[in-house]
Amino acid sequence: MSGTDQYRGQSPDQYRGSLRYAVDIVMCIDATASMGPVLEEVKRSALNFPARLEADMAQKHKAISRLRLKVIAFRDFADHADDALQESDFFVMPGEADKFEAFVRGLSPVGGGDVPESGLEALALAIRAPWERGLDRRRHVIVMFTDAPAHPLGTPDARAAHTYPAGLPLDGDALLEEWGYARSQQALMENSAKRLVLFAPDATPWKEISEEWNMTILFPSTAGQGLEEFEMGEIINTIGNSI
Amino acid sequence: MKLGTTVNGYLVTSRPCNDDAGKCVWAFAERAGKPYFIKRFLEPKRPRPDSTASTRSQELRMQECAEFERRHLQVGGLLRQRHGEPGSGNLVIPLDFFVVGSTYYKVTEKVEVAEQGPETFDAQHKLVLLRTLGLSLRLLHAIGVVHGDLKPTNVLIERKPASAAFHPAKLIDFDDAYVSGEPPPPGVVGGDQLFGSPEWLRYMKEDPRVRRRDLTVRSDMFSMGLMTHHYLTQRLPSHDPAFGSPAEAVAEGAPLEFDPRLAAPMRELLGALASTDPRARPDIDEFLSTVKDTQLCELGPGAVPGAPGRAAGERASGGTPAASARPSRLRMTSFGTPTPPVPPTPKPSSPPARGSRLHINLGDDRP
Repeated sequence: MSGTDQYRGQSPDQYRGSLRYAVDIVMCIDATASMGPVLEEVKRSALNFPARLEADMAQKHKAISRLRLKVIAFRDFADHADDALQESDFFVMPGEADKFEAFVRGLSPVGGGDVPESGLEALALAIRAPWERGLDRRRHVIVMFTDAPAHPLGTPDARAAHTYPAGLPLDGDALLEEWGYARSQQALMENSAKRLVLFAPDATPWKEISEEWNMTILFPSTAGQGLEEFEMGEIINTIGNSI
Repeated sequence: MKLGTTVNGYLVTSRPCNDDAGKCVWAFAERAGKPYFIKRFLEPKRPRPDSTASTRSQELRMQECAEFERRHLQVGGLLRQRHGEPGSGNLVIPLDFFVVGSTYYKVTEKVEVAEQGPETFDAQHKLVLLRTLGLSLRLLHAIGVVHGDLKPTNVLIERKPASAAFHPAKLIDFDDAYVSGEPPPPGVVGGDQLFGSPEWLRYMKEDPRVRRRDLTVRSDMFSMGLMTHHYLTQRLPSHDPAFGSPAEAVAEGAPLEFDPRLAAPMRELLGALASTDPRARPDIDEFLSTVKDTQLCELGPGAVPGAPGRAAGERASGGTPAASARPSRLRMTSFGTPTPPVPPTPKPSSPPARGSRLHINLGDDRP
């Protein structure tokens, strides 16, 4: 069943006839202890995000036919493997807002040890998410919130963890191929749909990713600043400006 | 690109942001004491010099870059051919295009925008706005270039001294421009859902009845008609609320309803510009030959038309149409009191008065 077919069964499209736009957003959230001072702010902003996006789109007289949100919280496989990743399903908004809210409220800042963290594993999982493939146009956005650099993909310590996801790319080059580019032959992301928004330190690997990966924006963050009004606007811009 | 850093000699003087930007980040910058607008493209990206990716991966990405450079240089070259002609100063064309590391940048002049938008204009100023915009479009269409994303946010009203007679419209953002009949693929072509044309909409939806060659300069003319209605009435034409945009309504054969306060000749012009068949739309010369009288830009008496839900360009709660509500570079302070002259229709093309100001640096130091 295509995403379009799924949607037809769930909600009427008040904008029938016009371009139908699907927006999927995966929020990768660093939930290590160092994020404690800002995690509540990130969570609050994440919960307010759907309403803010809807208001912004309405102001622009544009419509999103289908909005889904997914959260991947990450810590550090090398520090504590059991809760190194917490991954939700995609929640269709607004119908599953309660499930989204319950998942987000359940996140707590624990563990992580010293930096770096397992942010690249979270990004790899986000790239492999079951993105919407139907409707007329799609926007697939990954948003990374972290105050730390990340381990290289697949360090021996991480791979030794019993919770380490199977089949993840072995290194940064392989991850780039999964992210893709216009002519790539192995990409998992749809090139015209994807965006990666990094609220992360201007440090490895985020600095290099923002330089070499296409459709990627890095907004260098300082630990403790949280997801404030400015960042909300940046994320919404990545969605609303290109519809 | 960060505030306070220098990119290829341009000092970034504002915090980079993506306001009103789909596939770039932009900021203001300075070089040799002059202000500029600098744009950092999100794609394509060159492989890093120290890339460890496969040879094939690097080749494919370099092919994308070559195509990107070819298209930008082609459109830029065509634009520069007409630079120096009357009205060309209102085309905000690239001054510099270069690559740093993996990333492409483009630089244009910085337009000092007025404080107030066109909603405050009287009929004379609206006429100047429409004509300066029309003259810019005529230059584009004369060289066979489709702007591809005509909408109010891509038109800046330049701030002039209070003594200036009028404030010209500056046409910006040629990143989605293409040679007439040769648009990018449906998944790549730019455009705006509210101001796009019916053939563009069908092309986007990959309607097999629409071919690449169907997207021509007449697609811009559909958008120009909608923008004209918007500038004159602060709203888009009304249509059956079952449709999400004027293009959708027209594509399905539903009529657009133009503000009855508009002068009859203007409504007639707008109706022709909204034709389903692109060939039936007036071209930019016909537009300019019609829109040359202040009376044509005046609104007659009567109530604002359009019941709730019927006006595609109006907020449900009233107020400023979204298209002019950006946080914006579109501002106007005040008008001079003299009657603004209508820009004359330029004579047929003459050789450019000055040479290219475009400087290309595409990383020749790369291996």
